[in-house]
Amino acid sequence: MKKILFINTFILSASLACSQDTLSLQQQINSAKPGKTHFLFTGYAFSEFKFSEDGNSFLAGSFAPIFLVKPSDKVFFEAEIETEFEEGELMIELEYADINYSIAKNMTVRAGKFLLPFGTFAERLHPAWINRLPSKPLGFDHNGVGPFSDVGVELRGGLQTGKSKTNYAFYVVNGAVLDDGMNNSATAGMLMYENYEDNNKNKTIGGRIGFLPFSNSSLEIGISGQYGKVGTDKTIYENVFAQMFAADFSYMKSFEKLKSVIDIKGQINMVNVDKADYADTSAMGAYTFDNKNTAYYSQISLRPALSKNKIIQNIEAVARYSSITQPEKSLWAENAVQWDFGLNYWLGWRSVLKLAYQIHQPEMMKQENIFTVQMAIGL
Amino acid sequence: MKIKIAAFTALFFIAVTWMVESCKTSEEISYKPGALLWGENCARCHNAPSPDAFSDAQWDVIGTHMKIRATLTDDEVKKITEFLKSGN
Repeated sequence: MKKILFINTFILSASLACSQDTLSLQQQINSAKPGKTHFLFTGYAFSEFKFSEDGNSFLAGSFAPIFLVKPSDKVFFEAEIETEFEEGELMIELEYADINYSIAKNMTVRAGKFLLPFGTFAERLHPAWINRLPSKPLGFDHNGVGPFSDVGVELRGGLQTGKSKTNYAFYVVNGAVLDDGMNNSATAGMLMYENYEDNNKNKTIGGRIGFLPFSNSSLEIGISGQYGKVGTDKTIYENVFAQMFAADFSYMKSFEKLKSVIDIKGQINMVNVDKADYADTSAMGAYTFDNKNTAYYSQISLRPALSKNKIIQNIEAVARYSSITQPEKSLWAENAVQWDFGLNYWLGWRSVLKLAYQIHQPEMMKQENIFTVQMAIGL
Repeated sequence: MKIKIAAFTALFFIAVTWMVESCKTSEEISYKPGALLWGENCARCHNAPSPDAFSDAQWDVIGTHMKIRATLTDDEVKKITEFLKSGN
């Protein structure tokens, strides 16, 4: 009887242990399943060293984590935080944070703070691991000529139109704010972008239409526009509006004879603000000016990616010309032209070592020459 | 005036017909494999990523991110994502 009891106890214990092992294995399998919510932590970072006549310095660069969450097939969330050192202080900015909902196959609505499709540089090309040069073109940074990002709602998508493709993006946002010079008369008439709260009841509308005429998507031409009130309600500037236009192009092609891929990109931004009177605190009078701003760049890069030599195929040569023109009679005009020449070495598909030489020629001022070494990585 | 209205109406119908017709995906495009679309579209902004760089679940997230950011078509994203997943 005792023997039977012992055997039963042994079998029970063994089966329990076995079932626990099975349960443990099942738990491990379940924990490895991705579930319906998909999440990705990505982003980019860079660090650089600059040589110029003013001095040589290591710069801390920037770290920009990006969070992507896909809770379901129709819902998507993206956010980027940009952190960098500026004048000894750690600056943290929310580059974008927006919720997307797929309404139809080729139509998505999004709301929040998002990069604006005003041309392509701000939205697609500015991250350090994508930008072929360490610097941005003149007038294409935050608070340059034209908007970079804003808060609002947007509708966008891409369509196959026969052999060609068309993409669209239309948005309603808070819009830019006109600096009335009350805090600093030297900046009167400037536009300030990326405003979390609007300064008037009017909303700014804008959008971009892109057209890719060739079936291999090698060429894209886009036009963008934005229109809205920039003056603050219940001030003398309440009827001041700004009209903005941009045109962009991108052409990329492999040339077998050169064993290379050539990439040409360019964009022009134009911002016109209605004429207004501004107070000049130093002269105790009022002045006005034609508030028209233009910035453009064109860039060409060549990479012998089709070469059989593994070192040569990772080298890339880049040249860029950019220009900024601001209102002559304003107190903040900084007209300049700039040449940037670069030689890159791609360590992987998303990490690059850039060597660049910049010739910056401000109007009526001494030319500046800067040599930069930058290491950039996509995470 | 009538001639102008008639000309405008005719042009409008031609434009609408062209738009509707051109919205059909051509056979050449519909047979394009994901690998080709991956090379053509990703490289327009950045180097085309290696298929083994991310897991299948991560490619799903990146596909949606790129569909929105680069305004790729739904068909392109589906084919490119499938191709990238096949590398895992």
